[in-house]
Amino acid sequence: MDVLKQLLGRLHPLLVHLPIGFIILGLLLQWYDRKKAEYVKVIPLIYFWAGISAVLACITGYLQYLGEGYTFDTVKLHLWSGIATALFSFLMYAKTKELKTVDFLTKIPLLALSIVFFILISVTGHQGGNITHGEDYLIEPLPNSIKSALGFETYEEKEIVLNDENWQDAMLYEDVIKPIINNKCLSCHSPKKSKGDLLLHSEEGILQGGENGEIIVQENPGESQLFSRLVLPKDDEDHMPPKDKTQPSKEEIKLIETWVANGNPFDKSIGELALPKELFLSFFPKKLDDDHPPIEIIAASQDSIKKIEQMGVHVDLISKASNFLNVSCINKPSFSNSDFKTLIPIGEQIARLDLGGTQVTDSIFSKLAMLPNLTILKLDNTSVTGQGISLLESQEHLKSINLTSSKFEGQYLQVFSNFKKLKKVHLYKTNVDANGVQSLNDGQILIDYGNYQLPAIASDSIVY
Amino acid sequence: MMDNLEKLIQEKINRDLQAKTRRHFIKNCASGLGGLALGSIFMGCDPLGVPKKRSNITFSERDLNPLATLPPHFGPKVKSVIYLHMAGAPSQLEMFDYKPKLHELHGQDCPQSLLEGRKFAFIKGTPKLMGPQAEFAQEGESGNWVSNFLPHFKKVIDEVAFLKAVHTDQFNHGPAQLLMHTGSARLGRPSIGAWATYGLGSENQNLPGFVVLTSGGNTPDAGKSVWGSGFLPSVYQGVQCRSKGDPVLYIEDPDGISRNLKKSTIDAINKINKEEYRKYADPEILARINQYEMAYRMQIAVPEIMDINNEPENIKQMYGVEPGKESFGNNCLLARKLVEDGVRFVQLFDWGWDTHGNIREGSIDMGLRNKCTQIDRPITALILDLKQRGLLDETLIVWGGEFGRTPMQENRGNKEMQYKGRDHHGDAFTMWMAGGGIKKGASHGQTDEIGFSGIEGRVSVHDVHATILHLLGFNHEQFTFDFQGRPYRLTDIEGELIKEILA
Repeated sequence: MDVLKQLLGRLHPLLVHLPIGFIILGLLLQWYDRKKAEYVKVIPLIYFWAGISAVLACITGYLQYLGEGYTFDTVKLHLWSGIATALFSFLMYAKTKELKTVDFLTKIPLLALSIVFFILISVTGHQGGNITHGEDYLIEPLPNSIKSALGFETYEEKEIVLNDENWQDAMLYEDVIKPIINNKCLSCHSPKKSKGDLLLHSEEGILQGGENGEIIVQENPGESQLFSRLVLPKDDEDHMPPKDKTQPSKEEIKLIETWVANGNPFDKSIGELALPKELFLSFFPKKLDDDHPPIEIIAASQDSIKKIEQMGVHVDLISKASNFLNVSCINKPSFSNSDFKTLIPIGEQIARLDLGGTQVTDSIFSKLAMLPNLTILKLDNTSVTGQGISLLESQEHLKSINLTSSKFEGQYLQVFSNFKKLKKVHLYKTNVDANGVQSLNDGQILIDYGNYQLPAIASDSIVY
Repeated sequence: MMDNLEKLIQEKINRDLQAKTRRHFIKNCASGLGGLALGSIFMGCDPLGVPKKRSNITFSERDLNPLATLPPHFGPKVKSVIYLHMAGAPSQLEMFDYKPKLHELHGQDCPQSLLEGRKFAFIKGTPKLMGPQAEFAQEGESGNWVSNFLPHFKKVIDEVAFLKAVHTDQFNHGPAQLLMHTGSARLGRPSIGAWATYGLGSENQNLPGFVVLTSGGNTPDAGKSVWGSGFLPSVYQGVQCRSKGDPVLYIEDPDGISRNLKKSTIDAINKINKEEYRKYADPEILARINQYEMAYRMQIAVPEIMDINNEPENIKQMYGVEPGKESFGNNCLLARKLVEDGVRFVQLFDWGWDTHGNIREGSIDMGLRNKCTQIDRPITALILDLKQRGLLDETLIVWGGEFGRTPMQENRGNKEMQYKGRDHHGDAFTMWMAGGGIKKGASHGQTDEIGFSGIEGRVSVHDVHATILHLLGFNHEQFTFDFQGRPYRLTDIEGELIKEILA
């Protein structure tokens, strides 16, 4: 019997759509038929069916309420308005059928009844939706600004924005701890859900704690559940957030610990608490140091890439995150200056170019100057001497040049100091006689001459 | 051409079939078998007998050339990895993890609290603590600690980032090596190098993407699975090369066999293999065909690259190479040459680090010291040589063992042993990384005062893997391969990036 009850109960969400459909159809038809009165005989029939199906919906709804363990408080409004809708359907039937037995109806205009009926079915349907999907189901996808304009409380997924200038002025709770809690805890511990009777959306809530008492023991993170549960093993039942939810990062956990250890202040800045910078470094904007310029460009044409690859030159994307290309002659040692023209169609996309071990000579520099986004250039094991390398001075992104085992001459060394973004030049085994690392432009450019030595020491040959 | 297409279609279908699991079968039983019966009842003929059109199968360049390069998720910091594995597990307490307190406690009984509920490979009863058997000093601008067992290495210490509190849950060599290289202590998973070549391919057409070099007279206890391809196609497994004799066995053409004859032999073998493939549609046959062709190209490229005799004297001296012998020094020089020529992943295994104190070679104060001398100069030279060639910025060097060693002296059979030794210990050990994307001179993690457990900055083997993949441009959580009905990752369901050692 229980099974039947549950089964029928579960048909409720299906059956409710019948009265809704009938009622809307009846109302529409009434409006459509308002002048010609061609369907007067059909409309009462529709309302009759609406009534019958609404009664069925009420019965199954009641069974569902019994079978699925809803509290009466949750369903009471929906229940009463559902019954009202069923009764109202029969009332509309009587009205449109113009039954003489219920004569009080003749005094009320049909339009008024219809409007009430429409409101009734809308309200009933909406309440039902709220029970199954939750009250915030409809507004959930709206942007936060609209939500708050509509009067719903929002817990913004606030980003932690710290940088070299502002980090000491930032408020530890407001700018750091609160965003962590908002992003990782509030989906369960806010007035919306309040699992374990714990509210973390406000200062009061945090201080008050939940069903297991207070969650902060002053200056004692180990005893404070706000922190200690985060570091329990993930399989532990008490671990928070539950293991299938997004976990806070190591750095975030460390900050919660620091905040509690410092007496969980709500109104102190990082500077006032004299906290070390290391704690916050991972929230500073990332310094991008990729092998390509920090800009976006369009993709190179596949046809041009194919053509270049057929020649034996290797072309691939540096990463899926950008359209910049890595071009390498590793399989094409015969590549010479005249082959360069085939690279021109993808010139804009080339960020990393490896011409190491090829036949190119100094006249390649004038061609390389045509690659606006060149970032990494390898000319090792070639016969370039550096004549004409000044043509690359105006390169906006060129970061590193490898000239090891080339014929590079010392007279072109000074040219490098005019380069804009250059950081590293490798000049091992060239015609420049030098050792180790030297710097140009106050350390902005490092020139590595190599020739590192590992002189023998006595212990090298000792065998114990 | 037609043949090729047919076989690739078959391979695709085969792969799809392999991806079907018992669950699919059971699920299909209801509809499939039922449908079959209904089909014959209602139509009187078998509708499933009609061959399906296969025109919708498309092949990527990857299907035709499994080592074609693919871009990673985001900008990679390095193009290649050189992984130096000290098989047997080196003692962190004599090399990098300086514990003066352990020195003070030398000879005292190990506290019971540390022994309770612990498993050790050989330690029995109550062992005694053993102080560091090396002298330590802070070196470089970073002031990181290094022992006098590594007098050359201290010169490059500022290039390196240490992980002082790595931990593993395995305490025997085989499983621990498997965990360290495949992310699982059990057999069957692909190694890091296989993942890297599968994910990125390799630029050089004439060399394998993943090369393995061994030294120390033995291969790792876990066997060749530590550079295996697991469930990935076997074309991604490591290719073992030798630094002594022919780099690859039988790479020279036999006497009286010309290269042309060799070529026609390989063509004939491949033709037979293709026939075989048509019959059995086993994709491993395709891998074999591919490997024959690669081997033919390698015949020219490999002897050249594996020949260290042509290197200048000063470079040979720097690495301390011993041409004609199998040595770690030779392998380090080879590693540089391979990376220089675009090999994606070079894996070095050096055997002989299992210092239990049962024999002289396995003693902490002598055997270990000799092993350190063997690697000290080559590793230092490798870092400096890559640096001067501008390759260190685009190469990642990883150094470590499969676990660490106990702060207690080993007492095998509850007896005092002839030599000083330490037992296997997975709770805390040291690894380091150097090269592109690594924060030079960093040191992350800290062990307790006797070096038994990590107390700060503990990182797991999976964290190390996540970090290696990150430097190659992969998000380890998105880099997956579907096998047995679910996506697998190198880090499977674990691993967190070790940001502290990233530049």
